[in-house]
Amino acid sequence: MKGTKISQHVFRGILATICVCSLIFFTGTPSLAGPEVVKIGNIIPLSGPSASVGQQGKQAREMAVEEINAAGGIKSLGGAKLEMLYADSESKPEKGVAEAERFINTEGVHVLTGCWNSAVTYPTTAVAERYGIPFVVPVSVADKITEQGFKTVFRIAAKDSWWTRDQFAFLADMEKEFNTKVKKLAFVYENGDWGKGFAGQWKELAKKGGYEVVLDEPYPSTATDLSPVVQKIRRAKPDVLMLVSNAADAILLTNTLAEYKVKLKAIIASGGGHADPSFLKAAGKNARYIFDIVEWETDVNKPGAKEANAKYKAKYGENLTGEAVDAYLATYVLKDALERAGSLDPAKIREALATTNLRSGPGMIVGYSAVEFDKTGQNEHAALVIVQINDIGSGMERITVWPKEARRAGYTPVFPMP
Amino acid sequence: MNYIIEGLINGILMGSIYGLTALGLTIIFGVLKVINFAHGSLLMVGMYVAYWAVSLSGLHPYLTLVVVVPVMYLFGYYLQDIVIKPIFKAEREVREPITVIIVTTGVWYILDNLTLLVFGPQYRSIQDNPLRGKMLEFGEMLISVPKLWGFFAAIITAGSVYWFLQKTRTGRAIRATSLDRDAASLMGIKQYRVYNIAFGIGTATAGIAGVTLVPFYNVFPTVGVLFDIKGFIIVVLGGLGSIGGAILGGIIIGLIESVGPQFMAATWTEAIVYGLFLLVLFVKPSGLFGVRYDW
Repeated sequence: MKGTKISQHVFRGILATICVCSLIFFTGTPSLAGPEVVKIGNIIPLSGPSASVGQQGKQAREMAVEEINAAGGIKSLGGAKLEMLYADSESKPEKGVAEAERFINTEGVHVLTGCWNSAVTYPTTAVAERYGIPFVVPVSVADKITEQGFKTVFRIAAKDSWWTRDQFAFLADMEKEFNTKVKKLAFVYENGDWGKGFAGQWKELAKKGGYEVVLDEPYPSTATDLSPVVQKIRRAKPDVLMLVSNAADAILLTNTLAEYKVKLKAIIASGGGHADPSFLKAAGKNARYIFDIVEWETDVNKPGAKEANAKYKAKYGENLTGEAVDAYLATYVLKDALERAGSLDPAKIREALATTNLRSGPGMIVGYSAVEFDKTGQNEHAALVIVQINDIGSGMERITVWPKEARRAGYTPVFPMP
Repeated sequence: MNYIIEGLINGILMGSIYGLTALGLTIIFGVLKVINFAHGSLLMVGMYVAYWAVSLSGLHPYLTLVVVVPVMYLFGYYLQDIVIKPIFKAEREVREPITVIIVTTGVWYILDNLTLLVFGPQYRSIQDNPLRGKMLEFGEMLISVPKLWGFFAAIITAGSVYWFLQKTRTGRAIRATSLDRDAASLMGIKQYRVYNIAFGIGTATAGIAGVTLVPFYNVFPTVGVLFDIKGFIIVVLGGLGSIGGAILGGIIIGLIESVGPQFMAATWTEAIVYGLFLLVLFVKPSGLFGVRYDW
């Protein structure tokens, strides 16, 4: 009995394979005759906890594809159009892996992109590597994604450890620009994974930069009174205070620092609570002159940034975000590579991506100046943007100050704080 | 030396405010014999009422007490009357009705989420106000004026509630009910009315605590949770049902939180607070100032 069941199974399997193969054969042939289409498989979170970020990424991709196709597609491929296929990862690693398999085996995509959640991107890039399909990662911050020794992975945005790297690069640039020496640093951070991770990297960077760390203070994010911490900062007399805070504590800390009249040359925050939309309102005047690090800000001084943002806002009713800009740029990086590859062979596309050197064009509205991939596939020019909170006549706002070429026209950062 | 004195003062001021936030919890427990899990949410509602009263009128925060106290009293009175009383009646035979605890948990979730729905997740804090950011300076030492006000508010509130319970007829009725509700009922005291009043008073003190917090803290829908946990520790530390114990328990927590970080990382003070909490439970379960024997 058992034996017949298995053979029945096998037989059915063979039958199904033949059916599928003939289907592919019959439907596959005519498309070769028509104009070529570049199939791009996008695996992003369209539902679940990161759905809103995934949606931003999808909208930005669609806007870029519309522009590219309207401008005549990929010219070296006879005007081939880009065709975007979307799969919902639901922020789940296993879903990302399954969708990558499906895209490669059933849909026959030429390129993959995604997946925003580092936990999804990490295993999914392994699938692409196995099949030799190029995988463009607009943004997924975990360092390890480009440290697997893979040949087909290309990441546009900065990785995790570059946030702290850029905070120190910014500090060094400010010291030079304003001829002010900074010696003593204080690190104050929420005592979770995030804060501790940043602080660990800060300590190393401080040692390398020859700074003296006068205070290293984790605090619970649920604290209802931060004056003891502020008293400690006041006693340590640092030049620069570096912070990692969630929302409620960022507001409390900012207000308490102002109450205790702590004299500092600068405060450098790490996004999170300081980037929360209600932070500016709740901290008000006390937030003035704080520096904060972000992926992108709507006022970056790059040609086309304002127009792209206006177009995006008209289409989708919201401002471009860092995630959206990375996805937008990634689509243009792909277009550039396809143009140079002149072929749909994944190996050729990979070669073209590896030799990318994009310095201008509609996609280059990011804060940094170029896209060039190093051996690991990481965009070596990727950098973050630093903003200063200030009121220059239209209320407290976030003004891009660093990198210098992205600085808002006509604005001089206030450093040190008066 | 200066900074230790500064820490001590800040600890006493902040601690008395913590005590004030826990006062309602201890009052309600003392009378209803029920842990009110919605207490943090009542504090949150108090903070929102105070926040809107202050930012709409632009007055000195403590002037808004005229509005906040009656509003919160009535809110608590009718919350008990409409939502909690029916459960009490259904569980008349039980001395410490568990179901009521579950109902207060429900009230907590409903209030927090209703606030989230109506006011959004934003963090709010009053901007231009006579109290905000004011500091007293003694040379190097700085003392927060809004916290000083909060300290006096806590002492006066605790004192008045104590006086009310000791000296007035209603106060005596409340105490009688708290001691033995069946005997009190037999003496002609309307048990459920006393519950309503006690709940009203507890909620009103949460409103006062809201007014003391608004000048220097942020208001957001889940703000109650932060004070809730502290409130439970304070009340157990000071002794459940003890009014003076709540204030003193609060000051102990405030001192640990404020002086501790001068010698160690701020994270450690939390461990000390919880360690002390456990120690008190082991050694003196009725709390530092509580009554040893239950009635």
